[in-house]
Amino acid sequence: MTRLLGGREATLAAACLVAALVFAAASPVFLTPGNLLTVLRNSTELLLAALGMTLLLAMGAIDVSIGMAMGLAAIVVGQLLMAGIDPALAGIAGPLAGAALGLVAGAVVAFGKIPAIVATLGLLGVYRAGIFLTLGGAWLSGIPTGLTDLVATPVLGVPPAIVLIGLAYLAVFVLLRRTPFGPHLLAVGNSDEKARLSGIAVTRIRLMTFVVAGALAGLAATFYIATYRNVSMTIGATLPLEAIAAAVLGGTSILGGRCTLVGTVLGVILIRLMQNGLLLVGVPSLWQPVVTGAMLLIVLGLEAGAGSEGLRRLVRRPA
Amino acid sequence: MPTPLLEARGLTKRFGALTALSGVDLDVNAGEVLALLGDNGAGKSTFIKVLAGAHAPTEGTLTIGGTPVAFASPQDAANVGIATIFQELALSENLSIAENVFLGREIVRRVAGVPFLRRREMKDVVGRLLDELDAHISDPDAPVGSLSGGQRQAVAICRALYLDARLVIMDEPTAALAVAETRKVLDLTRRLADRGCAVLLISHNIADVFEVSDRMAVFRRGRKVAERRRDATDPEEIVSLITGAHPDVRALDKQQ
Ligand SMILES: Nc1ncnc2c1ncn2[C@@H]1O[C@H](COP(=O)(O)OP(=O)(O)OP(=O)(O)O)[C@@H](O)[C@H]1O
Ligand SMILES: [Mg+2]
Repeated sequence: MTRLLGGREATLAAACLVAALVFAAASPVFLTPGNLLTVLRNSTELLLAALGMTLLLAMGAIDVSIGMAMGLAAIVVGQLLMAGIDPALAGIAGPLAGAALGLVAGAVVAFGKIPAIVATLGLLGVYRAGIFLTLGGAWLSGIPTGLTDLVATPVLGVPPAIVLIGLAYLAVFVLLRRTPFGPHLLAVGNSDEKARLSGIAVTRIRLMTFVVAGALAGLAATFYIATYRNVSMTIGATLPLEAIAAAVLGGTSILGGRCTLVGTVLGVILIRLMQNGLLLVGVPSLWQPVVTGAMLLIVLGLEAGAGSEGLRRLVRRPA
Repeated sequence: MPTPLLEARGLTKRFGALTALSGVDLDVNAGEVLALLGDNGAGKSTFIKVLAGAHAPTEGTLTIGGTPVAFASPQDAANVGIATIFQELALSENLSIAENVFLGREIVRRVAGVPFLRRREMKDVVGRLLDELDAHISDPDAPVGSLSGGQRQAVAICRALYLDARLVIMDEPTAALAVAETRKVLDLTRRLADRGCAVLLISHNIADVFEVSDRMAVFRRGRKVAERRRDATDPEEIVSLITGAHPDVRALDKQQ
């Protein structure tokens, strides 16, 4: 499978192209620069969250509370802005809040020895209640434009948002492929017992991965506030599904030990292209999670059918 | 006789109701190959896993160079110079050969506090170690999952060699190796000991053990039932100690 990843990425790029061609034929709006820009703009938060999810999946974990973590971080950023804090500081508070929430999730998983899916499902409930209680059933709105201006006003012709997202991707790439953290994370994802015998501090790697993923979700929150300048009760509700789908479409194993960042980027683009195109041809947005979920299930089904060893392991009953 | 490098006293390990290791006393000396023998399930792997920091002993003490130690993790054992090749090898199939050899102790260059992997340097070191073993592996970047059992053992041995350890523990390192490769590993074992390293070797091959070891300890049902210098015993006696046919062992068995 590892050697086919290059093929997987090419397939995914082709799928993006085919989707684009079909939607271009079906809707005159689709290929306009304005619409494509919207697709890119709408991909920002998902891209950041999906990069974090890729690391978590590769490490053999998952975080379904990531959307709610983004929501909580967005509330922090929004309220700081409304309190008149300097927009740059408020923006930095996003990833910091996200990292703190990631630390909580990591601690519950690592010290509680609870499967990540169950632990983060519990946190999802807690965080959602937290969002509900802080918002009190209303929207957080009327957030000043300081942060928006800061990330969108071009410096030397380039919007800082693009530079920041590029830097975030680069940071994840370096961490994964150029520092010991990468092989350690992949070793834990392959087998935490073998990683431990090899002298890896498994708990530290778990915590670190959750913190990095949390910080990325928090950075997503900063961009969310910069773009929408409000927080609704449903913020982040579909984010975990979309982030998992993007990573898995890209070729990251849901069983850990293997991942590709380029694949995740392509997965994000495909998901957002599909959502945008379907909307343009008149499919109600209610169907978006259905389409995303279906893509996830189809890929998993295909991988199982293609005899992916990992999935057979999942299907087989434990001895 | 100088103080032993490692002294195990009364080592006991229980897994629930099962006593896998029961009151084992054993010394390991620098410059010596000590072989552990015993039937399947005798407790050999459990014993070396305690020495390697992979299991915490239920009872008993370990001292290294006269200082008591308590390992919380395999990393702790590695830090005091104990390198272990586990029976199950403990390699990560999804990582490359070079990544496996250096896993947990990568060569890095810090730039602004960030530890960047020195991938070229690690690849070169692994290439040299593999050559030394004649391992027939050409590409240190190949994933370990693509290697044969013998090649994987060679990778695990490289890992232990790189640590430059005071004590090298090998749990059946030649089990999957062909004749020529087995020779290499036995030579290497001897060379390590001659270099002043202590070697603890587990093997079911009596001929290999007699060729390479200075001393032998026989385990049976979690106990150490005998300890012999090579020049004071012969293969028949060792086999009878392992199987329990030896009068000493029969007397011990009756006591229980
Ligand atoms: N992690 C564990 N949990 C429970 N029981 C264990 C565990 N590890 C080993 N045992 C048991 O302890 C006993 C000793 O096992 P051990 O692996 O030490 O034997 P061994 O002498 O290495 O045998 P072999 O020659 O087959 O490798 C066995 O009965 C085994 O089933
Ligand atoms: Mg064993």
